Amino acid sequence: MAPVHEQPFDSDAPDASARLAAAAHAVQALPRRRDQLLPALLTAQHALGWLPREAVVHVAEHVRVPVSEVYATATGYSELRMERPVPGTWHVCTGVSCDLLGARALLAAVEAALPGWVRGIDCQFLCALAPVAVDDAERLYGRVTAERVLALARAETEGTVR
Amino acid sequence: MIGPAPTPALARLRAQIAGPHAVPEVRVLRHRGTCGDAVDASARSITVDVPVVDAACDGACWAAPAATVVRPGHRHRFARLDRGVAGALAACVRGECDEPQAGSGEHGLTARLGRNDGTLADVLAQGGYAAYALAATLPPARIIEVLRATGLSGRGGAHFPVATKWGLVAAHEAALAAPKILVVNAEEGEPGVFKDRHLLEGDPHRLIEGILIACRAAGVREVVVYINGQARHARTAFERALADARDAGIVDGSALGGESVAIEVRSGAGGYVCGEESVILNSIEGERPVPRYKPPFATDFGLSGRPTLINNVETLCAVTTIFDTPPPPTKLLPLSGDVPRPGLYEVPVDGAMTWAGVLAMAGASPARVQALLLGGPSGRFVLPEEFDRPLEMRALGAGGTVVLGASADIARITRDLAAYNARESCGECTPCREGTQRLVQLLDDPLANRDRIAALIEVMTEASLCALGGMAGRPVTSALASFPQAFEMPEGSAR
Repeated sequence: MAPVHEQPFDSDAPDASARLAAAAHAVQALPRRRDQLLPALLTAQHALGWLPREAVVHVAEHVRVPVSEVYATATGYSELRMERPVPGTWHVCTGVSCDLLGARALLAAVEAALPGWVRGIDCQFLCALAPVAVDDAERLYGRVTAERVLALARAETEGTVR
Repeated sequence: MIGPAPTPALARLRAQIAGPHAVPEVRVLRHRGTCGDAVDASARSITVDVPVVDAACDGACWAAPAATVVRPGHRHRFARLDRGVAGALAACVRGECDEPQAGSGEHGLTARLGRNDGTLADVLAQGGYAAYALAATLPPARIIEVLRATGLSGRGGAHFPVATKWGLVAAHEAALAAPKILVVNAEEGEPGVFKDRHLLEGDPHRLIEGILIACRAAGVREVVVYINGQARHARTAFERALADARDAGIVDGSALGGESVAIEVRSGAGGYVCGEESVILNSIEGERPVPRYKPPFATDFGLSGRPTLINNVETLCAVTTIFDTPPPPTKLLPLSGDVPRPGLYEVPVDGAMTWAGVLAMAGASPARVQALLLGGPSGRFVLPEEFDRPLEMRALGAGGTVVLGASADIARITRDLAAYNARESCGECTPCREGTQRLVQLLDDPLANRDRIAALIEVMTEASLCALGGMAGRPVTSALASFPQAFEMPEGSAR
């Protein structure tokens, strides 16, 4: 198995090659210079939702930087996703203000009701509206309760099996 | 507080822009932005027969969802629209209300925050670009003199004198081979800090104005604005404002005078260390996000070897007030935690304001506060006995303040902060890479390990390449000194 940061895109998905091509096309619109490395990675991630190996290799070729250096750079940024995200996953902020206002109990309650579908995450900078939850589209929800997160999570995945 | 009188060029621009886009005298500002959109959306429908326009959060995050009624001589914020205040709001619109309320920011750099609809016309009508219009008529050296007289210090946390930094860059000849550049630090990745995001969302034109003043003073014609990757509303608002300012001829010097400046926007991609200025330079160059050795300093050898001026968003916004009489000696404090009215406060740091005063603004009783965490993972705990002392600008850092109530678990918070620093260490230098990990281990039994913790923190403080490692020991030292008893109990389920 490849290291976690060198995962390939899902080659079984019916639209995989089309999506990779679209990501490559978006990246090609940027100048072919090293200073475009981070913009290119963000562009690819925006198109695909994360950075599979194919996208990293393409970015490397486009900005003319070795693949190893692109990985060395990309893994330094917490917002660049080197692993395929699981759709429907929620995050609960565990920053100090959220923690003070019950984030841990909230996290535990959501985890108990939907095991495996929620994780803690570092400060989301919405501290004045703590506690804060984040959906899989990175939308922020302030002053949440476990009930509200569960209702939102269930509404989002209505009709699908958890 | 009086801003500078409009120059003839500004008066012309105001007339030209205000003509087709007059701002109505009576209107309702609906506070959206990141704060408004993160709470109950059902409160957004406001039905009154005056214009209702979207504005950003005005700093009263606690009030969300909120709206402000503006009538001549009257401004009234209605908090928590989800709690049925629609009737009172409608009465206020009809003029049946004589209780103006607004909250912080009557002047200074939050004066327009969330109180404009985002259009250039609205911002100009509220005094926008008056400082730049004046600066454009002054020789660059004169701007730096005025700035020096205000004593403005860098608001990113280090509080280096801004006039000195500008002077260092201004002193470089404008060389073709290495043209000078301004990098705006809008990364803001310190947990507990949300001030620059508010400034960008709620009054982006103020940042553009500060950028243009800095460029003129330091002889810079190129700018990169590096915005935190998660701050999407902030980037959108800034880009919209930039487009409007360009269309109006403000950025190319045709409307208000001054020089043409090229402004590029970049997004960050996370990481606490990315707020460090040399990390931003590496990030923009496409290198690994790690700090650089200093010297050489960025003012001599910065982005791609060019003389580089790096300023934080709040600093550049504060620059727009240097011509006010008198300039406000204020600092933005993002305040959160166990407090009734968390939000963004602009407080005077003039020798009179105390933490007790800040807590009172936020509705907290100092008697029920155990401590304040000032500065997050690189900060310290402020104890109640300090609450009555005047605030000192340098001691405020970036300003992030978390109020810890009586039940707050100081030991757990300290361990969480240490673990956060260990996760966020970029690994470039040994004292931080190894030290932050080792500190977490030693905190398993901090009282027994007291001497080793002190020795380790000394090495990290003295030898780390940047402030992440250099200041990672601060909350630990502070907690052990002030709350030793908190570490006495055996840890339960917290770890």
